[in-house]
Amino acid sequence: MPTPLASIEHGSISIWGSQVELKAGERILLNASSGKGKSTFTFTSIGLRKDYSGQITYDGKDVRTFTPDDWTNIRQIKISVVFQDLQLFPNLSVKDNLKVKNELQHVFTEEQLKDKLAILGIADKWEQKCRLLSMGQQQRVAIIRALCQPFEWLILDEPFSHLDKANAEIALKMIDDRCNTLNAGFVLTSLGDDYGYKYTRELNL
Amino acid sequence: MLNNILYKNQDKKQLIIAMVGAFMGITFLVTSIHYLIKVNQFGKGADILGPNTIIVQKKVTNSSSLNLTKTDFSPREIEKIKAESFIEDVKPVVSNNFDVSFQTDDPLVPYFRSDVFIQTVDQDFLDVKSVKWKWKKGDEFVPMILPRDFLVMLNTFMSASGIPQISDDLAMDIKFKFRLRDPNNSDREEHVNGRIIGFTNEVASILVPKTFMRYGNETYASTTESKITQIMISGKESEFGLVEDLLNKRGLESKNSQMVVGRLKSVVGTLFLVVLGISVIAVFVSGLVLIQYLQLLLSRNAYEVRTLLRLGYPPKKLVNSFSYYFIKIFGLVAAIGLGIFFVFKIFLDEMFESGGLYIGTDVAWLAVFALALAYALFALASYLNARKGIFNEY
Repeated sequence: MPTPLASIEHGSISIWGSQVELKAGERILLNASSGKGKSTFTFTSIGLRKDYSGQITYDGKDVRTFTPDDWTNIRQIKISVVFQDLQLFPNLSVKDNLKVKNELQHVFTEEQLKDKLAILGIADKWEQKCRLLSMGQQQRVAIIRALCQPFEWLILDEPFSHLDKANAEIALKMIDDRCNTLNAGFVLTSLGDDYGYKYTRELNL
Repeated sequence: MLNNILYKNQDKKQLIIAMVGAFMGITFLVTSIHYLIKVNQFGKGADILGPNTIIVQKKVTNSSSLNLTKTDFSPREIEKIKAESFIEDVKPVVSNNFDVSFQTDDPLVPYFRSDVFIQTVDQDFLDVKSVKWKWKKGDEFVPMILPRDFLVMLNTFMSASGIPQISDDLAMDIKFKFRLRDPNNSDREEHVNGRIIGFTNEVASILVPKTFMRYGNETYASTTESKITQIMISGKESEFGLVEDLLNKRGLESKNSQMVVGRLKSVVGTLFLVVLGISVIAVFVSGLVLIQYLQLLLSRNAYEVRTLLRLGYPPKKLVNSFSYYFIKIFGLVAAIGLGIFFVFKIFLDEMFESGGLYIGTDVAWLAVFALALAYALFALASYLNARKGIFNEY
């Protein structure tokens, strides 16, 4: 249970205060209304927050024992994230925003990155500074950036909040394909929308 | 890519100010240390006595002539002088209590003989190698250091005899002989070979090793009591003014040339010491400003650093990036500062030379070492600050 959320009353189906195991390759929809801890879930999953009671384990190891090097390794090859606030570099171009992540593991070629942008309908933004893009376009850049690494889990924190249904489905298809390639799972947090995808299971906060 | 993210958008005004400060501090630091060393080395090697060494005796007054005051030093007086903070060492100059004469003993040089006065001083005060400056009974010859005036006198004698005059080096090859004799028993005498190993402008007597003096005094002196009328004082660098005060206060005197050189070195040395102090402060302050700029850069880039860490960039890589960036800046400043020092040196060396201060023109490596030390300290401070800043964002 995250400390800031301890005072809030959570329903019986909430994962807060319960024991939950995420199995490899699962596609999970994490549904919750605002303020219930979707971003807190994202942050604690990759070691950015440690203000919680209880225990989080990854591959059987308590994450509290992880060193900065362990977390660096996890963030590079085990868990990838699309943050709710996107965490792009506004003064860098779309190309550089993608490259800064891709350079860590050299997953895609420049051509492959351009193809992905084309699939999401923003191929023409390759040299554009991110601060000049709309929120929806920025969300698509952030999604492609999250795919530029090997991972076991992809955590998407309200990734389609600024996308129309058609674009959200295209993006989700790209995510699904990538997870299939890597035999990875994902957790998609949402305010209730399931984007027409068939999830392995649904969790609530 | 990291450079684009972390260093592209910065206000470089403060950085440039800090760089200019560091550059000036470094230039003056290296210059002042170099010239401080060179000025202190001034005189070294020119004489066989150490560069900060003077021989002093009590001023002879009317009362001392009438035996009302003493002209010799008691052990207590020597200890008192030695206890002063600006005095490095004090040792008595021991004189002979037996008769000594000195004569040439070389077929190439005409016979010359004179009664002389010999003295011995501690090895620490002499700029000669210890292997040369020793004697024991049975040795082939006694090493000796002669007053340069003695060579002038010898050359005058040679010239008068129609024989070519001799140089310092040639004089060191001439064989001499000492005759030691009991002043109360002229039958008790001994001849010992001697050889010159150097000359001095500062001592008026012939200097011999301590062991030879002890042997002569123990074997031929009529009395074992030996009065110390002269002492050798070695003062600390750049504190000659205090030594001079002490001499005046205690009614002591020294050869004027020694005092002039000491005073000159002290004044110039103090001047450079002041510049050195200011330079150290300047380097320290500019280093602080650079470190503060590093902290400012880190706090301005907090979002970028945090995002890079979230994307999986190793914190160590970011720490290295920040510290290398500042180490490179300081390196550039240090290189320019060192370059300017060499330009300064050309002018200053000329200035000293035309002013009559013939200091060495080779680089004092301690000055470069000081720069390396300042650089190492800055590199360490940069690394520690970058590490703290990055891990704060982790």
